[in-house]
Amino acid sequence: MTFRQARWDEPAVWDLGPSDGGEAPPAIPGIPERLRRKSAVRWPELSELAVVRHYTRLSEMNFGIDTAPYPLGSCTMKYNPKVSEALARRSAAANLHPNQPESTVQGALEILWRLERILSKVTGLPEVSLQPAAGAHGEYSALLMVRAYFRDQGEAAERTEVLLPDTAHGTNPASAAMAGYTTREIPSQDGCVNVAALKAAVSSKTACFMLTNPNTAGLFESDILEIAETVHAAGGMLYYDGANLNAVLGVTNPGRMGFDVAHLNLHKTFATPHGGGGPGAGVLGAGETLAPYLPVPRVVKEGRKFRLDYNRPKSIGKIRTGYGSFGLDLRAFAFILAHGEEGLKHVARRAVLNSNYTASRLGKFLPRPFRPLVKHEFVLSGAPLKERGVRTLDLAKRLLDEGVHAPTVYFPTLVEESLMVELPETESKRDLDHYVEAFERAVTDTPENLHAAPRNLSVRRVDEVRAAREPLLSWKDLREHAAKAERR
Amino acid sequence: MTRWISNEPGEEAALLSALGIASVDELFSDVPRKARVGRIGIGAGRDELEVVTEVDRLLARNRPYSQFATFLGGRIAPRYSPAAVDAIVSRSEFYTAYTPYQAEASQGTLRMLFEFQSLWVELTGLDVANASLYDGATAAGEALLFCRRLHEGERFLIPASLPWEEKSVLANYASGPNLRVEEIPYDDRTGRLDLDFVRRAVGTKDVFGVLADVPNGFGHVDEGVADLKSILGDIPLVVAADPLSLTVLQPPGAYGADVVVGEGQGFGISPSYGGPLLGLFACRKEHVRASPGRLVGATFDVDGERAYTLTLGTREQHIRRSRATSNICTNESLMALAFVVYASVVGPRGLAELQQSLAEKARTLASALGALDGLQAPRFDAPYLGQFTLELRRGTAEGFLDRLRRRKVLGGHSLADPRPGARKEPERILVAATEFVGEKEIQKYARAAKSALEATKEGS
Repeated sequence: MTFRQARWDEPAVWDLGPSDGGEAPPAIPGIPERLRRKSAVRWPELSELAVVRHYTRLSEMNFGIDTAPYPLGSCTMKYNPKVSEALARRSAAANLHPNQPESTVQGALEILWRLERILSKVTGLPEVSLQPAAGAHGEYSALLMVRAYFRDQGEAAERTEVLLPDTAHGTNPASAAMAGYTTREIPSQDGCVNVAALKAAVSSKTACFMLTNPNTAGLFESDILEIAETVHAAGGMLYYDGANLNAVLGVTNPGRMGFDVAHLNLHKTFATPHGGGGPGAGVLGAGETLAPYLPVPRVVKEGRKFRLDYNRPKSIGKIRTGYGSFGLDLRAFAFILAHGEEGLKHVARRAVLNSNYTASRLGKFLPRPFRPLVKHEFVLSGAPLKERGVRTLDLAKRLLDEGVHAPTVYFPTLVEESLMVELPETESKRDLDHYVEAFERAVTDTPENLHAAPRNLSVRRVDEVRAAREPLLSWKDLREHAAKAERR
Repeated sequence: MTRWISNEPGEEAALLSALGIASVDELFSDVPRKARVGRIGIGAGRDELEVVTEVDRLLARNRPYSQFATFLGGRIAPRYSPAAVDAIVSRSEFYTAYTPYQAEASQGTLRMLFEFQSLWVELTGLDVANASLYDGATAAGEALLFCRRLHEGERFLIPASLPWEEKSVLANYASGPNLRVEEIPYDDRTGRLDLDFVRRAVGTKDVFGVLADVPNGFGHVDEGVADLKSILGDIPLVVAADPLSLTVLQPPGAYGADVVVGEGQGFGISPSYGGPLLGLFACRKEHVRASPGRLVGATFDVDGERAYTLTLGTREQHIRRSRATSNICTNESLMALAFVVYASVVGPRGLAELQQSLAEKARTLASALGALDGLQAPRFDAPYLGQFTLELRRGTAEGFLDRLRRRKVLGGHSLADPRPGARKEPERILVAATEFVGEKEIQKYARAAKSALEATKEGS
């Protein structure tokens, strides 16, 4: 297949029209002179068409799921149903202010309440809050809950440690540190938690063990029940990072596996769009021990009416503005309504089928470091490429030239030159075969071509080192940089 | 079964046979029997039309603010967004992409984020803006942690007039590293920050940062913010600013702010009952390596053509893990797109005009309400832009707002912390002028308020 991405010679928005900063806007009565802006904001005055054309051209220099398979591992880049987009834009959904009286938002509250009940079933955890703004935000909120719980137990001073496997997402240790914990990594064995090492590590200092299952190597942690027992026996809490829930919908759930608290990513499992990096939504589910600590407000149903309940004395309080991202909750709600019981189960089954199929085919080109049976994603090692002077990065860039997105690369760090591939249930066998063929062409190409990739995109290989060495982070930086160059 | 799961004829059988297995069940043999569940326990699936019908049935129980005369505000603003904004945001090359890890395939996202960062820099007068945080409140929380990396100390000062939600979020962000958040009292007549309190606190040497908001939680503009930096010296100053206000107000960088955060929802993002929102964050260049969130930088490709990429990732969780400057991964990129497209469509002149028009409406509203017996509007003797606080002399904010609602007026929101046990405050309501109201709606509000106050008098 020949692929050519648009390559517009498109200036930056400020170069499209006059933007000299102009004279100050007229004074507003009462505003003190010293707080009044002395010159207009420096930004161009443009016709609407100029703006639309500019951003349309930018969009054409971008990959999305709608453009091509986008197999970023642990990101679950599945098709985002259009009907969810349409529904979220209804006036009765978009034009709601979070401070409207409850009597005027009964429909929204019912949707939130029902979504919480559904996600409670999905997670096997009795209480759910939709408040966190993203997965990492859910992790952080959950750890604040864990901390508040141990404070109430009089154990906060002692339980200062969060344990996590060395395959954990980077957000896990970062969230733990933000919540005031020290972190300790548990080494993996064959891609899974080494239970003996975990047993040796847990102690009266353990506040929490954070785990994603299936893990980032794409493997199901089959020792999960023993892991749960180990953590609980030490008095610690078990946290479920739900980034990879897509693989086990209807097969198992965090509650069943023994987790005390979990976050889910609506933008992964429940198909709300990733938006070029967000918004996300990091729903929290909690077992009975931690549920009283969930953020306020909670949505409650009284008779036929719904209201926001702030009377939760143990709650950690607020973790963001508003109750949650209703616009995303509504999209996820529509997704779940459409799938229902059988549909959600089929999501996991097909995602895992796609993954195993692709893994078995790509495994012919690059080694798979762990056991063959995988869940929603799998890991390959690009280490053998080094013999030809090629790195995983080159392969990733060469794949882009095929008109498909690259997998996640260099994560998990456990595997040398790793690639993490996830092609969810929305990809057809034809898509998978097409991806495999593209991969084969890429991986068998000459080192020269691999190094020279990409050629077919809006830009060639981007110099990331230079970007970091001399950071130019805004138009202002570019102006100052240009002025400096002129002086030289 | 939905059309969204791929279901081409024969493909599942072909996938199974390629794997040499009879059933997908075999692919779950690694899940121990004791960990399995039989069923999820939710209803059966529906076709797309049934989903639409059901969701619309539920949505019909909402009464969006467009059905009322709307005076709701605070950090989230009902605002008209030109249709062109949603047309761009709806381009699926943008909204179905993810974080631009592969720069060459993602120049669209990277370039729009670079423009977004640049716009927040221009509005704030600082040097560096990140590619977004979750919302204004969490951006303030990140600013708190950022300040602690720049300066020693245990105490972070915030205005007592800050909305209760933000206070709660800040208390949470402070709790991890065992930091304390303290409230700066305000003058009862003007709502202005007690700068003497700040001076005394700074004198104790354990303040590591101070936050002030513009406009403040009461909707007013406090001239005192411009004096804060001279009191603070090398202690970082965070200003939480409404982006629209910055089109007519001095950029906070000009009066010494080291960090400017804000809620970006008003620029092209529908309120959607509170989310998704947009957190804005800018700081000085010398502090960039201590800053949270993703950054897009300009560079070149191997042919020497201008190109953009994520940069300074060594601050971030995927590399630095527990020593990262923040745990943030997914941010609000698509909302950042809406922000920069909105500002570009409306233009700097149009934005300043909008702020002026809202300020004029707010003044008209204040004088209409101020004439009434039973409330004080504005409550504080201080300048304002599009919002101000009114205080009831009798009755409750809740009762008052409910009476207004029955007359099809959404008259603002109570500033009280609704949590049981919260400090008892006077009955105050934050009122905002919106684009959707004119002289007629303002008079409607005044009439509804008059009758609500009279009803309270009779009732009491």
